[in-house]
Amino acid sequence: MLNEDTVTRVKLAIYGMIADTGAIPNSMELAWATGLAETSVREAFSRLHVKRLLVPEPGDSSRIRMAPPFSGIPTAFPVDATGKRYYANCIWDAYGIAAALHTDAIIPARDGYSGEALTLEVKGERPIPQPYVAHFAVPAARWWDDIIHT
Amino acid sequence: MLLFRSEESVDRWCETHNVPRRPLIDLQQLWQLAVHWYANRLTPESRRPAADEMVSIFASIGLTGPFWDPKSDQWKADG
Repeated sequence: MLNEDTVTRVKLAIYGMIADTGAIPNSMELAWATGLAETSVREAFSRLHVKRLLVPEPGDSSRIRMAPPFSGIPTAFPVDATGKRYYANCIWDAYGIAAALHTDAIIPARDGYSGEALTLEVKGERPIPQPYVAHFAVPAARWWDDIIHT
Repeated sequence: MLLFRSEESVDRWCETHNVPRRPLIDLQQLWQLAVHWYANRLTPESRRPAADEMVSIFASIGLTGPFWDPKSDQWKADG
C-alpha cells in the first residue's frame, strides 16, 4: 500500500503537469514523471478518488476524467489562461481554474438555455462583474452520486 | 451547474428540461466558492472541504438550508 507522501507526490505531479500543459496526464506519463511503477500510480488514482480529488475515466483506470477543477476531456467550459486552454467540469470549476492557477483568465461560456455567448473574466484574482447567474440543479448531498453529470 | 444570462433564462431551461428551479447564485458568490475549493489545489496540503466545512463555507456567502447541506437526507427521493 502506498504511503501518504507518495499519494501526495502523484497528486502534485498531476496538477503540475496540467498547469504546465493544459492536459491531464495518464498513468504512464505520470509513472515516467514520478519514477513510480504504473501500478503504483493507478493505486494513487484510487486513493485520490476516495478523497474526491480525482475521478478516473469510466472503464479505463489508466486515464483521469476529472482532477477538479480540471477536466480530462474537452467540455463546454473552456478557460483561457497563462497562454493555454484548459477545460473545466462546470462553470464553478471554470472560475476554479483561475483560482487554482492564481492567474487572470478569460472564460468563453454560454447561456445554458439559449447558447448565447457569455464571456466571464478574472483579473487580479477578482471576477469582472456581470449580471449572470449560476443555477445548481443538484443539491449538495447528491453532487457525488454522479459527479460527471453534476 | 450551468451559467445563465438571467433568471428568465433559467426558468426557460427548467421548463424545457422539466426540472424544478433550484437556488441561483451570482458571480461573486460563485467566485468565492471557487476560491474556497480550489485556491490551494496545487499545494501538498490541498483537500476537498469536509461536510461540516462545506456548510460553513456556504453559510459565509449566504447559502443556507438543506439544499446546501451535504448531509441532508431531504433529497433522496426526488433529486
